[in-house]
Amino acid sequence: MIRIACALVALLLAGCSSEPRQDAPAARAPAGAASPDTAAPVLVPIDAPGIVAAVRAGGAKATLVNVWASWCQPCREEFPDLVRLARELEGRGFRVVFVSADFADDLPNAEAFLAEHGVSGPTYVKTGDDMQFIDTLDPSWSGALPGSFLYDGAGRRVRSWEGKASYDSLRARVLPVLDSASGS
Amino acid sequence: MSIRSFAVAAAFVALAAVPVPPAQAQDAPPTPLTLGATIPLADAKLRNVDGKDVTIASLRGKKGTLVVFTCNACPWAKKWETRMAKLGNDALKRGVGVVAINANDPERNKEDGYDVMQERAQQRGMKFAYAMDRTSEVARAFGASRTPEAFLFDASGALVYHGAIDDNADDAAKVTKPYLENAINAIATGKAVGTAQTKALGCSIKFRPKAS
Repeated sequence: MIRIACALVALLLAGCSSEPRQDAPAARAPAGAASPDTAAPVLVPIDAPGIVAAVRAGGAKATLVNVWASWCQPCREEFPDLVRLARELEGRGFRVVFVSADFADDLPNAEAFLAEHGVSGPTYVKTGDDMQFIDTLDPSWSGALPGSFLYDGAGRRVRSWEGKASYDSLRARVLPVLDSASGS
Repeated sequence: MSIRSFAVAAAFVALAAVPVPPAQAQDAPPTPLTLGATIPLADAKLRNVDGKDVTIASLRGKKGTLVVFTCNACPWAKKWETRMAKLGNDALKRGVGVVAINANDPERNKEDGYDVMQERAQQRGMKFAYAMDRTSEVARAFGASRTPEAFLFDASGALVYHGAIDDNADDAAKVTKPYLENAINAIATGKAVGTAQTKALGCSIKFRPKAS
């Protein structure tokens, strides 16, 4: 019965939804973690509106934007858990969008770090004004790294946090968003 | 029961069963001082690079007081270091007291140790205090969260500017908004600060564990 109910909820919600979605620029490929292809990591420049567009264009049921840097120790400590969670929940529609805040002269280190953790294909490097970047992601974010921003399938930010989170706490934050999306 | 009414009823059942995250929840970030606040823990002892203890109260200037939380290891702090030294030295000449505070736990990164602070202050020609917050309690009291992060108080001791050094950490030549310099100019000349709150990306402060 609950399965039927959940399916009906999904139908009802889909039928009621009228929120327009903003498409990402065609040149901006969705960034993902630990995809199975073997392409070398590529850091694509992105500004704050670009991130919002990428989140909404991804088609995921839950998207976590993680702002990190290769020399940021808490970021480095958290990174493997983010990659692990992205792999485990990819089938349920979860996606991690990594945005590096490295300076230009540190980008080779960032790419090497991504490769070391099996992250292939395009991810992002932040460009543009810091204030706009911070306030677009979350006006209450201080700007300290790492910063994480969790969006639902409609591209609405549902939660954000500063500092590293453990695997268990990451999973506990993401699952309710996926559960809400699937109605399971 | 019609299909429609069943669907609506089922929707309520299902929604009650599915945990929905609160909209736009933010996990307890540090709450920084608000504009107008006075200097907290102004009498707390900080170990300056000259080996002596100082307090923020002892370093207040006639025109105001600048407190910058920074460190040795953070790449952002390094990028801004030379500019910050010049800003601080110039502010001192204009009657604004200045103290840079390192609240990071050197156990997390040896580069944030006291000996490196001494080297860095000498290398950059800092004429103002660069002091260690040995418990991180001063940083906590300010609600500081990142390095570098500036708090500027006017002559009456009220916070009139909080935020970044300027709008381009990576390249001093491309700065278009020298936020902190403008704010210092304002209080040094008795004017109101125009842009009073700004943000920039920065390293998180590596707080020492709280005393039990």
